[in-house]
Amino acid sequence: MSGSASTTPALEMRALVAGYEPDLPIVRGVNLSVAPGELLVLLGPNGAGKSTLVKAIAGVVPIHSGSVTLAGRDITHVPAHRKIAQGLAFVPQTENIFATLSIHENLQLAAAVLPKQLRADRIKALYERFPDLATAPSRLAGALSGGQRQMLAVARALIVDPPVVILDEPSAGLSPKIVSEVFEMLQQINAAGVTVILVEQNVKAALKIASRAVILVEGQIRHEGAAASLLDDPIVAKLYLGTGHAQNHSVGAEQP
Amino acid sequence: MNPQFLMDGLIAGAMIGLGAIGVTLTYSILRFANFAHGELLSWGAYLAMAVSGALGMLSTTLVKPIAPFSFGWSLPIAAVIAILLTGLLALAVDALLFGRLRRRGSAVIILVMASFGASLALRSLLEFIFTSKPAYYTKALQIAVKLGGGLRATPDQLLSLGLTLVAVIAIHLLMTRTSIGRSMRAVSENPALAGIAGVDVRKVIRVVWFLGAALACIAGIMTGLLVQIRPYLGHDLLLPLFAAAILGGIGSVPGAMLAGLIVGLSEAAAVQLVGAEWRAAVSFVILVIVLLVRPRGLFGRAA
Repeated sequence: MSGSASTTPALEMRALVAGYEPDLPIVRGVNLSVAPGELLVLLGPNGAGKSTLVKAIAGVVPIHSGSVTLAGRDITHVPAHRKIAQGLAFVPQTENIFATLSIHENLQLAAAVLPKQLRADRIKALYERFPDLATAPSRLAGALSGGQRQMLAVARALIVDPPVVILDEPSAGLSPKIVSEVFEMLQQINAAGVTVILVEQNVKAALKIASRAVILVEGQIRHEGAAASLLDDPIVAKLYLGTGHAQNHSVGAEQP
Repeated sequence: MNPQFLMDGLIAGAMIGLGAIGVTLTYSILRFANFAHGELLSWGAYLAMAVSGALGMLSTTLVKPIAPFSFGWSLPIAAVIAILLTGLLALAVDALLFGRLRRRGSAVIILVMASFGASLALRSLLEFIFTSKPAYYTKALQIAVKLGGGLRATPDQLLSLGLTLVAVIAIHLLMTRTSIGRSMRAVSENPALAGIAGVDVRKVIRVVWFLGAALACIAGIMTGLLVQIRPYLGHDLLLPLFAAAILGGIGSVPGAMLAGLIVGLSEAAAVQLVGAEWRAAVSFVILVIVLLVRPRGLFGRAA
């Protein structure tokens, strides 16, 4: 799963150090190679640096040292707004859509990185893939429900047909039913050949759809392995996933 | 009450509205109150005067008034050049000052203080170059025409109102219908997400500076044409500009224009009802009331 030597990784981090303040690294030397077509989940306790790691890859948090390569190309210091055109899409955890713009404008905005003649076709293709969004494209995105917002955020990220999509806790704040819909959507995207990297607190649900899992503790990788093996590993859950019971993070536990 | 206050208010309001659009755009996208915005009006007015004067020296036919207006072709030509130059001035100030502070992640208050400094420097530079003696684009006199209903206006004033309307509609369409307008609204809502979505935020910031400065230049030229050109021209309009931007709702172009007209009309009404010495207090009162009662303004989104 972790990528044979012959294939170029879809995304690779080498000795990555990153954080908001120059003298306060949060990500402290991460080496990680993601093979094309993988669905990788990043786990770890709160404050482990999972979000900071993906934000650094996306170009939102400064990288202090180390490197990030996308399909063999160095993108370490490529500014955030050029990464989407190079094939790396990022969906932030919160505020991941423009609430004051309509659904259609959100997609138009993202499509602006494409050549003019492709834009309308790509937006049309996304409406076919997410028919919910097509019902009222002139609606303000701020009026959408949590699940629809997530759908729009993912649709926005998929506009360039990127080989790699990174999502920061797409299940946060959603009801269990919507969470399973979102995860199903991610599985479909992955099945279509897109490499998906996922930060999740929703450990059990994430491990079910992921092919591989990486556990981050204090800004460093502590453990990695096939998702299925971690799902059945109570010691791993106890050590790294927070309060000691993987059940606490499961979908069921979020029900009122 | 003399109905002429309506015309006076509309004309003053049009200039305030144009300036306020620039304030509201820079405020919503750069996220700080730029107190140097008034100086862009003054610089616009003086740059147009300098270029117009130079053109007049090249050819006297350019200064011959175009009937029924008080100015010759030198002024509209100079206006176009002055708009470009004022835009470049704003970009230069951003490159030298605000851009550096932004990259350092400076607090908003630092940017506001820097804008105070920039305002003083820009104004003093104007006084140094052009002296503080009032100047005029033209010495030609204009007779106000009767418009019916007891209203009178000079052809220059009517032209200014018409041009303001065209400029506001153009900016509104730019914001709502074009790709750059969409990007501007996106950056205004969430600059980090805009970057992730592929918007070049630095380019948007440059466009906003240029656009705000261009509108300031137009407002400055109109003020210079209808009143007089002074180094304090923009500075004296600062409070009405901010009152209008905040009353309209930060980020709203139609809001800024409508609020500009409200401020202008209120000032003109106050002059008639309570006396001219109270004119300057009107903006202040409006500003305080809006901040207390409805801080997001007429068309602003809730914070």
